[in-house]
Amino acid sequence: MTTNIPITSDPNTDIACRTPDMQERSLLRKVIDRIADRCRSRSLFILHYCTGCGAIELPPTITSRFDSERLGIQPMVTPRQADILLITGYLSVKTLKRVILTYEQMSAPKYVVGMGSCTINGGMYWHSYATIKRLQEYLPVDMYMAGCMPRPEAIQQGFLQLIDNIDKGKAIAWQDYYQQYDKYLANQQALFGPDWHTPTDVIAEARHYELFTEKTTGEHTALLAKYASKYVTLQHEEHEEIVK
Amino acid sequence: MSNQQLPEILAAVFREIPNLVFTEQTARRLRVELRPDTLPALLELLKGRAGYLHLSAISCVDWPELDEFELVYHLWSYEVKTLVSAHIYIPKNPGRYVSVYDIFTPAAFFERDIHEMFGVYFEGSPDMERFILTEWTGPPPMLKSFSSLGYVEETFKWEQYSPDWLKEIQANGGGIVE
Amino acid sequence: MRPENYQPVEHPASQEYELYFGPNHPGIEGNYALKVRLTGDEIVGIRADGGYLHRGFEKIMEDRLWIQNVALVPRICVPDPPPMEETYARAVEMIGGLEVPERAKWIRAMILEMSRICGHLFILGGTAAPIGQYSNMFWGVADRDYFLDLFEALTGARVYHMFITPGGVRRDIPDGFLDKLSHILDYLEARLPEYDDLFFNNPVFHKRAEGIGIITQEQALAWGVTGPNLRACGLALDVRRDDPYLIYDKLEFDIPTETSGDVLARTMVRRSEIIESIKILRQIIQHLPQIKGPIRCNLPNPLAWNLPEGDAYARTEAQKGELAFYAVSTGGAKPWRVHVRGPSSMHAVQVLEKLCLGGRIEDIALIMFSLDACPPEVDR
Ligand code: SF4
Repeated sequence: MTTNIPITSDPNTDIACRTPDMQERSLLRKVIDRIADRCRSRSLFILHYCTGCGAIELPPTITSRFDSERLGIQPMVTPRQADILLITGYLSVKTLKRVILTYEQMSAPKYVVGMGSCTINGGMYWHSYATIKRLQEYLPVDMYMAGCMPRPEAIQQGFLQLIDNIDKGKAIAWQDYYQQYDKYLANQQALFGPDWHTPTDVIAEARHYELFTEKTTGEHTALLAKYASKYVTLQHEEHEEIVK
Repeated sequence: MSNQQLPEILAAVFREIPNLVFTEQTARRLRVELRPDTLPALLELLKGRAGYLHLSAISCVDWPELDEFELVYHLWSYEVKTLVSAHIYIPKNPGRYVSVYDIFTPAAFFERDIHEMFGVYFEGSPDMERFILTEWTGPPPMLKSFSSLGYVEETFKWEQYSPDWLKEIQANGGGIVE
Repeated sequence: MRPENYQPVEHPASQEYELYFGPNHPGIEGNYALKVRLTGDEIVGIRADGGYLHRGFEKIMEDRLWIQNVALVPRICVPDPPPMEETYARAVEMIGGLEVPERAKWIRAMILEMSRICGHLFILGGTAAPIGQYSNMFWGVADRDYFLDLFEALTGARVYHMFITPGGVRRDIPDGFLDKLSHILDYLEARLPEYDDLFFNNPVFHKRAEGIGIITQEQALAWGVTGPNLRACGLALDVRRDDPYLIYDKLEFDIPTETSGDVLARTMVRRSEIIESIKILRQIIQHLPQIKGPIRCNLPNPLAWNLPEGDAYARTEAQKGELAFYAVSTGGAKPWRVHVRGPSSMHAVQVLEKLCLGGRIEDIALIMFSLDACPPEVDR
């Protein structure tokens, strides 16, 4: 019996037990991120929220005829467990509020896909008082699918492209929301009024993901802090500045 | 118009209402104009005597030159099989009228709709709360004085889009039809 | 850690609580919301909240030419667009005094009936889903796709065809289309027994659907219920029969009814209507080749087309019930006013509220799907 089981290990040789240095760490991170991206791209959940008429092409896409499940794409009913927020067409201002609420509840990484020309420039309803015109002003959009309405094949092609983008680490629009939160908030406030707020503390999340930039906060988040202070955690100095 | 084709049952009802003018538009379509104060009586009579059980819709039309709203009550009888559209005109100011909810239950929805889209108030309607435009702060949008395009241009940002092919067409006198 | 301005919620003494049902909820059809008050799982108060799909159709139609609106109207009701086109076209024809050629009428009726089957297949799948029978949904959607393929062959689009225009239809039917259609009808007919086994005769479904959401005849008439929901109460009333348009007075078809007025009855009426539509389509397949002639009447330049002054009220039996357009023209190139009476404007608001009250929370989805309440045509 000569099996040699090491009882102790030298901490400097075992990868799990020592602290990697900075360079090694970033390398490790890259590898793990790469693996995670690949896994993610193979299992995507679409949030089941039919916001416009494009939703009628989703059942054929998802069920037996076009079967997007073979791409690993499935509908999911709760925002917390969903990866893709599929905006299936026009958004009335009333729905946009709910969509933003939903988007902020989803956990990162999350992808927004605008489906149909209505999300791109207002489409059919370009002069309607009730619908928004360009989705990307309010939410960071990863991909648009053109068409009124896009055919299931087009939707599937879009999904394939999205999978590819995620795999390659290019679908990073969600980071933009944290990095430039003030810009998005400005557009939202222009539509919903200065006291618009959601129960999600986006700024704290931005810090958590280490995506906080100087554009995350600004005059519009200051308004947010004024009207809905319990949903914002500003750093102490920033608060002082705003008060000044 | 031709009184002969009119079912007797309807003719009897119309005779009871003063100042009622009716025209036969096409087959099975009767256009009735009457004074606003006699409308509830007409609806009552139609429902009671001619089997007009189905209120198909209430439409509202804005006439800015007249400074009046036109209310149109579309009624269908499963027995007489003729649609009666009763037209009345009410002054825009104060823009109030009585609800016919006590005669036709579906009126509640249409009156609520007209209230938020045109601002007409219906007295006695069970529910004048907003339904569609709960988060809208502007004027009633269906009024002719409200310009949807004007509102959009004020509220939303446009990106200038004039590709070369469009410029070419415009140079030749074509382009987007306004 | 509580925020500084935290305020404790005052709980009422009773056990009542409020629940938001939708707009983002799998048990709701489309983008629609219900505010429900409950004690336990019993509904003690319910309030519909719409407007999530509001696009201001009636307003933007006033800004467009009569002919431009043809592209706009099908979008009012998503699962069943052709009746919208048909009704709008008919309202315009009534004002303008246009005479639709005979052949166009037959083609239009064919499209309407195909669309009725599509809509019914779709909603029958929807009715099955809230009680956990997803296979039926998969089947319904897949079989509906055969019809969408036919639509594509005919019009070039799957869902929004914009095929029925004032004065006729856009194109004649392509070669061999009727054969394809009759083939698909055979297929669907052969498939119905399988649907019966899976869903319509399924004891689970019967147990679940019997006695839920009952509408009596008096209630149905008083509440303005129309379409299959009305026929499920035992009243054989149908716009196609009472107020015939197109060629429906020349066709032979029955008006299927049920008596109990509950979820089960409404579902069964839809099943029988599929059979009736197949019957109608068979008659059309038989007659259409004999009817020759143009498919559209002559129209003036559509960009400078002024309709004479007047108003018209056009009614259609859509898949969901009575659909009507009220159009007013002042002699201009654009409509002065178009009012849309969507069939669901009754079903999705007042009727739904009344039926759910006193029921239980798990029945809301079932009742809503069985009423075939379609939010986009309520919100317009
Ligand atoms: S792009 Fe077309 S199909 Fe999609 S929501 Fe807009 S109008 Fe509807």
